[in-house]
Amino acid sequence: MKKYTYLIFLSVFLISCTSTKGLYTWSKYEQASYNYLKKSDEKSTDKLFKEYELLINNQKGTRKVTPPGILADYGFLLIQKGDLIKGKEYLKKEILLYPESKIFIDRILKLVEK
Amino acid sequence: MKNIIYILLICSLLLTSCKSASVIKSKQYSGIYNQNPLSVLIMPPINRSTNVEAKEFFYTTLNVPVINAGYYVIPPFLSMEILKRESAYDAELFIDRPSLEVFAEIFGADIAMFTIINKWDKSSVFSTVTIDLEYILKSTRTNEVLFTKKGVVTYNTSLSTGNPLLNIAASLINTAAIKYVDVARACNNYSFSDIPKGKYSPKFGLDREEKSSPKKFNVRLPK
Repeated sequence: MKKYTYLIFLSVFLISCTSTKGLYTWSKYEQASYNYLKKSDEKSTDKLFKEYELLINNQKGTRKVTPPGILADYGFLLIQKGDLIKGKEYLKKEILLYPESKIFIDRILKLVEK
Repeated sequence: MKNIIYILLICSLLLTSCKSASVIKSKQYSGIYNQNPLSVLIMPPINRSTNVEAKEFFYTTLNVPVINAGYYVIPPFLSMEILKRESAYDAELFIDRPSLEVFAEIFGADIAMFTIINKWDKSSVFSTVTIDLEYILKSTRTNEVLFTKKGVVTYNTSLSTGNPLLNIAASLINTAAIKYVDVARACNNYSFSDIPKGKYSPKFGLDREEKSSPKKFNVRLPK
């Protein structure tokens, strides 16, 4: 009987392990986004940029790619900080990864180039 | 032993009969299955509560659950900038419009997502935050409401230490320091838990027969 109890616990544990993995991992992105939206100071910007780098370079979700919108928002904030070249690069990367963003991002690229 | 098996059987029968009262997803969200929307534009939340910061708590946490369900969400900071430039930052101006096609043209969005925060009340005595809110996802192509949820979330902000006196102390500290971003996140995760999976999910198109959750809810979180 004890043997079976252990088996049940083991299977429940294994099921819960496999089912919790999502399409993407987010680190502390939401908190960093909120802090940036409220403060927009150097510290909150640095923190958000670090989160973006993590979501881009250290993605552990099942899709193993950067989640939608992250590359474009990072590019946009880089442009706002004056890094036009790197910012445009990230905007273009968003289109490559998510072609459905083309309508909007092309519009932004045009605005930036004006 | 036999008794336990009978009790378990009755319980599982009861549970399954309760569940079967809910509608399957393909019926509840037929518009989503017919239109297969992919891109979602998050409109700035409409805040009718007395907490002025509630709008930001929600705005910065709405994209994650929708993206996790397999959708493309228009970059939130970039779209916010454009909405502000175009004097369209007030979602109240658009929620009842007969056409939302402009969001398809400018953003390539298939869905415009509206959030209304009716109430955000904090109780230090009971260590809770009570939020009355509503989510409305409208098609930019047909103006049809594709997904809607309305309800009240009572979020428990207390910590359990095992000692009643310590619990009260911990709750007081926790209510003061609680991260409201977590509260908004819990509301969103609960409400979008049954949205049909989008294109980037391996379950895209395969969840038609799954049960949906009721459109109206009253829930205590975390469960």
